[in-house]
Amino acid sequence: MLFAVGHSNDPDSQTAISEVLAQIHTTLAGTSPKGGVLFAAIDFDHALILHRVIKAFPDINLIGGTTDGEMSSVLGFEQDSLTLMVFCSDEVTITAGMGRGLSKDVTAASHSAVQQAKANHKEDIQFCISLPESLTTSGALILDSLKQALGARVPIFGGLTADQWRSEQTYQFFQTEVCSDAVPILLFSGPILFSHGIASGWQPIGKPGRVTKAESNVVYEIDDQPALAFYQRYLGDLPPSSEYPLALFDADSNRYYMRAPIEIHDATIGSIIFFGDVPVQSMVQITETTHDNILAASRQSTQQALENYPGQAPAAALFFSCASRRQILGSRTGEEYEQAQHCLTQPLPSCGFYTNGEIAPLQQHGTTYFHNETFITLLLGAE
Amino acid sequence: MSSDVIDPQVEVQQLERENRILKKKLERSNANCLNLEETAQKKESLLRQVIHELGESKESEALLEKQSCELEQALKDLKRTQTQLVQAEKMSSLGQLVAGIAHEINNPVNFIHGNLNHVQDYAQNLLDFVQLYQSHYPNPTPEIQIEAEEIDLEFIQTDLPKILDSMKMGTDRIRQIVLSLRNFSRMDEAEFKTVDIHEGIDSTLLILQHRLKDKPESPSIQVIRNYGDLPLVACYPGQLNQAFMNILANAIDALEEVNTKRTYEEIRENPSQITIETSLVDSTSVKISISDNGIGMPESVQQRIFDPFFTTKAVGKGTGMGMSISHQIITEKHGGRLDCFSTPGKRTEFMIQIPVHH
Ligand SMILES: Nc1ncnc2c1ncn2[C@@H]1O[C@H](COP(=O)(O)OP(=O)(O)O)[C@@H](O)[C@H]1O
Ligand SMILES: [Mg+2]
Repeated sequence: MLFAVGHSNDPDSQTAISEVLAQIHTTLAGTSPKGGVLFAAIDFDHALILHRVIKAFPDINLIGGTTDGEMSSVLGFEQDSLTLMVFCSDEVTITAGMGRGLSKDVTAASHSAVQQAKANHKEDIQFCISLPESLTTSGALILDSLKQALGARVPIFGGLTADQWRSEQTYQFFQTEVCSDAVPILLFSGPILFSHGIASGWQPIGKPGRVTKAESNVVYEIDDQPALAFYQRYLGDLPPSSEYPLALFDADSNRYYMRAPIEIHDATIGSIIFFGDVPVQSMVQITETTHDNILAASRQSTQQALENYPGQAPAAALFFSCASRRQILGSRTGEEYEQAQHCLTQPLPSCGFYTNGEIAPLQQHGTTYFHNETFITLLLGAE
Repeated sequence: MSSDVIDPQVEVQQLERENRILKKKLERSNANCLNLEETAQKKESLLRQVIHELGESKESEALLEKQSCELEQALKDLKRTQTQLVQAEKMSSLGQLVAGIAHEINNPVNFIHGNLNHVQDYAQNLLDFVQLYQSHYPNPTPEIQIEAEEIDLEFIQTDLPKILDSMKMGTDRIRQIVLSLRNFSRMDEAEFKTVDIHEGIDSTLLILQHRLKDKPESPSIQVIRNYGDLPLVACYPGQLNQAFMNILANAIDALEEVNTKRTYEEIRENPSQITIETSLVDSTSVKISISDNGIGMPESVQQRIFDPFFTTKAVGKGTGMGMSISHQIITEKHGGRLDCFSTPGKRTEFMIQIPVHH
C-alpha cells in the first residue's frame, strides 16, 4: 500500500493545489490513488481545489473538510494551508459516501452516507474515517447514528470540520461537492492494518457541581443555579469557550471524560450549548491545562498507537487534534506535531488537522466515542 | 556596470507568493493575539477564583498555603507566556516585513548608487570636453553663443557636479537606512553573535530619527553620545536592539509629554536631551545608560514599569509591553540587569548591564 502527502501554505487556491498535486505526483510516480482525505483552511476556493484533485486523479474516492489548522510531514504545522493525503492499493477497497441535511434528519443523513459507501465492499468493513459538520448538529448524535448504520463493531476515526474559531460556517467535501450540514465518510476493507492512540491532558480544578437540568447537549442548571453562573464564577464575564471544558465524572469511579462548551444558548436563563450530550445528575468540574500537559498528551497518543500497531511498522499516520489545543498552545502549536513525530523511529508520510471535536474508540477495536480537547493518532499500513 | 541575469518573471512570482503568505500571516496574527489574550484572561480569572476558594475552606492550612503558592506561580508563568506569545508573533511578522522591504529597496538603490559613479565620470568628461572647446575656440559662432546663453551653460557647468554630489549623498543615506533596518530586524536573531553594541544603538537611533527631528511645535531632541571603549559583546543582536528601541521610544514619549506644556522658545532655552553613555564595568560586563530629561515618574509608577501591560499612556498609544519585554530580554536572555532611576518632573535613567561573554 502506498501513501503520498502534499501540503502548501500559499493562500492562492490555484497555486496551492498545483503545489500539492506536484508533490504527490512525485511520490506516486504514475500510480493512481484509490482514496484521499483533503484538509483545507476556510478561506480557500474549495470547489476549484476539488475539481483539480478529481481531474488529476479520476479514480479517487475523496472526502475532506475545512479546518482550524493543518499539519503534515511536508510542512509540519501550518495555518491557512492546504494538505492532501492519498491512498493507493490494489487489494484494499476504499469507498466514499456523503449524507446531507444533518440538522433536518441526522439518522437519515448518516444512513444514506453509509449505504452509498458500503455498496461496493465484498469483505467486512475494517474501519471508517468521517469528517462531519460541527456547528449544526451535536457531534455525539451524528456519531450515534453513524454507529447504528455501520454496526457498533466498526471503529470510526476523524474530526468535525472547523472554521478557524469563527463559529460561522464549516464545509464538508465529497468528490467535487462542497456542502455544509453534511457528513462525508470513507470506508476501508481488505488487508489494511491500523491502530490508534488518544490522549488529552486536561485536569479538573475548582468545586464540583451536579447537573440538575439538561436536555441532550444543552445544560440549563448546575446545582440548581444557571449553568452560566457556574462558569462565570471561574471565568468572570468572559463567555465559556471550548478551552475550558467540563469534566464529567463516572457515577462511582474517578474517571472522567470531557464536554466542551460551544456557546451561550440563552443568556437570559444562563443555559450553555456543549459539543456533545451532558446527562442530568452528572457530577461536573471545570478543567484546565498547561502547555506541557497538552504536549505530553500528543506524544502519549502516538506512543499508544505505535504500541498497539498490529504489523511490523506503520506506513502512514493521520492526526486529529482539537482546535482548543491550538488555541491554548498559541505559537507553540508546531511542537504538538513534533512531539508526535518524536516517538516514530522513521519519518512517516502523515497529515492531519485541528478539529471542532474528535472521533475514536477509547480502546483498540472498542466502541467509538465522541471527544473534545483530544489528540488522536491513527496509524495505517499494509499486511 | 553589469547586472545579474535572473528571470524577472520567476522572481516576481516568487515575491508575490511570499507576499501573499506574509499578508495572511499578519492578518491571522492579530486575530490569534486577541484569542490568546482572552484565553489567558480566562485562565487567570479561573486560577484566582480557585486560589480564593482554597482560602475560604480552611482544611489544612499548610497544604493550602503550598497549593496557593503553586497556583500563584502558575499565574505568574501564565502572564509571562502570554506576553511572550503575543509579542513573539507580532515581532516576527514585523521583523520579516521590515527585512523584506529592506531587501527590496537595497537592489534598486545599489543600482542607482553604482551607476552614479559612472554618471559622475561621464559628466566630468563632458564638462572637461566643453571647456577644452571653449579654450580653443574662445569666439564661437553667434548661434552657439546664443544657445550657450539660453541654456545658461556657465551655471550648468558649476551646478551639475554639485547636483550629482548631493544625489550621491542621498543614495548614501538611503543605503545607510536600509542597512539599519536590516541590522535592526536581524533575522538571524536566533543566533548568538559577538557584535559592536554601538552599532546597534546607532541603527536604532537612525530608525527613530523622524521622532528626534525638528518639528513646527518643538526643536529637535539632542542626542548626546558618550561612548566608551567597549569590547565586542556576545548577544542576540536583534533582541537587544528591540530593548534599545523600547527604552529610547519611552524616553522620546517622556520628552514629548513635557513639551506639550512648553513653547518652542522655552524648549530651545532648555532643550530636550537623551544621553547615552556606555562603559566597561569590569572586564566581564558592559554598562549602557540611557537617560532623558523628560517627565520622570513617581515611585508608584517606577515599581510597576516592568509589569506586563502596565502603562500610563492613553489607549492605543501605550501597550505596557515595552519595558516588560526589555526586562525579559536583558535579564533572562542575556543574564544581565536592567535598573531604573527617576526623579519626577526631572529625569529618568535606564541602566543596562550585560556580561561580555554569556
Ligand atoms: N523614560 C520614561 N520616562 C517616564 N516614564 C516612563 C519612561 N519609560 C517608561 N515609563 C513609564 O513606564 C510605563 C511602561 O512603559 P512600557 O512598558 O514601555 O509601556 P508603554 O510605553 O506602552 O506605556 C509607561 O507607560 C510610562 O509610564
Ligand atoms: Mg513603551
